[in-house]
Amino acid sequence: MADPKPNFLRPTNVDSPCSREFWQGLRTRQFLVRECRGCDSVFFPPRSLCPHCMSDDLGWREIRGSGTLHSWTEVRLASPEFDTPFLLGLIDLPDGCGRLVAKVVDAEVGQLKIGMPVSIRYVDVDEDLTLYCIAVEQDGVGE
Amino acid sequence: MNTRVAIIGCGAVRVGKYPEKTEIELALEAIRQALNEAGIPKDRIGGLFTTPDLRGNIGLQTNQLCEYMRMTPKLMAEVCCGAIAGGLAVRQAMNEIRLGNIRTAVCYGAVREASIGWFKEFGSGEGSPMFEPSALQPYGSRGVIWAYALSARRYMEETGATEEHLAMASVRNRRNAVDNPLAAFRTSITVEDVLDSQVLCSPIKLLDSSASLDGAAAVVLASEEVAEDICKKPVYIASLGQYHDNSCFMPTDDADKSISSFVSTRRAAEEAFENAGIRPEEVDVAEIYAPFSSHELIIPEDIGWFEKGGMIRALERGETEVGGRIPINTDGGLLSRGHPWAVTPFYEMITVVKQLRGESGESQVPEARVGLVHCEGGMLNNGLVMILRGD
Repeated sequence: MADPKPNFLRPTNVDSPCSREFWQGLRTRQFLVRECRGCDSVFFPPRSLCPHCMSDDLGWREIRGSGTLHSWTEVRLASPEFDTPFLLGLIDLPDGCGRLVAKVVDAEVGQLKIGMPVSIRYVDVDEDLTLYCIAVEQDGVGE
Repeated sequence: MNTRVAIIGCGAVRVGKYPEKTEIELALEAIRQALNEAGIPKDRIGGLFTTPDLRGNIGLQTNQLCEYMRMTPKLMAEVCCGAIAGGLAVRQAMNEIRLGNIRTAVCYGAVREASIGWFKEFGSGEGSPMFEPSALQPYGSRGVIWAYALSARRYMEETGATEEHLAMASVRNRRNAVDNPLAAFRTSITVEDVLDSQVLCSPIKLLDSSASLDGAAAVVLASEEVAEDICKKPVYIASLGQYHDNSCFMPTDDADKSISSFVSTRRAAEEAFENAGIRPEEVDVAEIYAPFSSHELIIPEDIGWFEKGGMIRALERGETEVGGRIPINTDGGLLSRGHPWAVTPFYEMITVVKQLRGESGESQVPEARVGLVHCEGGMLNNGLVMILRGD
């Protein structure tokens, strides 16, 4: 039998200085975004400079692990790392601080409605990597 | 300085698969046709501008081609910023002619994507971190269909468009491609065929999608002085508009940014219309760069021919067919002509030039005077709109 598929692609910035803490945050079930001490803005995805004022005086802030479903698709054709079909969602994160695309887990096509509240679920996919998924129930931090 | 610039010759191979040819051989077939049509020998070409051939030759393919053909253009460059590159190559050539540095140029592109499959690895992984690594990469399966599918679903939610409406755009394109000898797909299809085709990423199905294929195309540009001297029907570049709206393919750092309407297309079109001194409704024929049928609805709305959602009714009424209010993609578009990546903008220009010369046969738009070419890079975040005039 063939090896099971990973069903994700390893992010290229897991070990980069400006993103490492984001990925480590997922490990402890925290969704961390960058906050800029130069202009008080909050932004995601993480970067080495504030995209508003270009300051590099940056901290981290935890936001709620929730969001709103902006759009979704049922992926039937994917690269070989993925079992198909699977549901993929684009969500708006809380407080206007960005978006992400993730697998929607434990849901059927008929349950998905654009604009519905969703929560982030954390999944340990590897010994040293935790990823986020989207759950349609509003149970806060899931496992 | 500030001479007008015309397209005086066009050449292209049929979009398809050429496993036994090289990019240079395909390019030279297109260039030879274009030079013949222009009536200009290769020794008179002042500039040579091209798009990447996906062979990793760091832009030196022009050197190879010149050696192969013993050409000695004064200026050469490979231009790239995604698949908009064909438009940018023409932009650069036009500007060099307007500056007086050269009087003629060949712009060309050749790719063999169906044969080499470069895009199979596109998007993710160590070699190509194209998708934002924290927000998109873990599940951004290689390729871009999922991203356009998210955009399509959102557009449908906001406008009430159905999968049938998307299919109608595919059918219109195919109807046009039947008469286009350069198109890859020329067999008639119905709305039912599209709806029954394989789902790739819902709501996008196989026949809602463009195929990455091999192709080569070339256009010859000349200053007005040269054009009026040697060309019976020069087609002038009346204006170019371009705009980039920041986003990493799927916009991730701004939850307010629309994925069902695109600022870059709107701004590029506004600039092009303003600089050409025309209104959108004065366009007689248009080629738009829509890799999926959903974007055959979105882009004409962003260009300004319809209100948001207005393409639904336009498709139902046949307003974008040849003979309709604004004929779009009279050669089949990306969906039926086929999509040889950055060469696609050249195919679009060639179609519009032929329309403005009155050489489009069954697909001819009667008395076409003003044409529009739209192309883009990224996912509609870098837009270019060109207005061409045949008089």
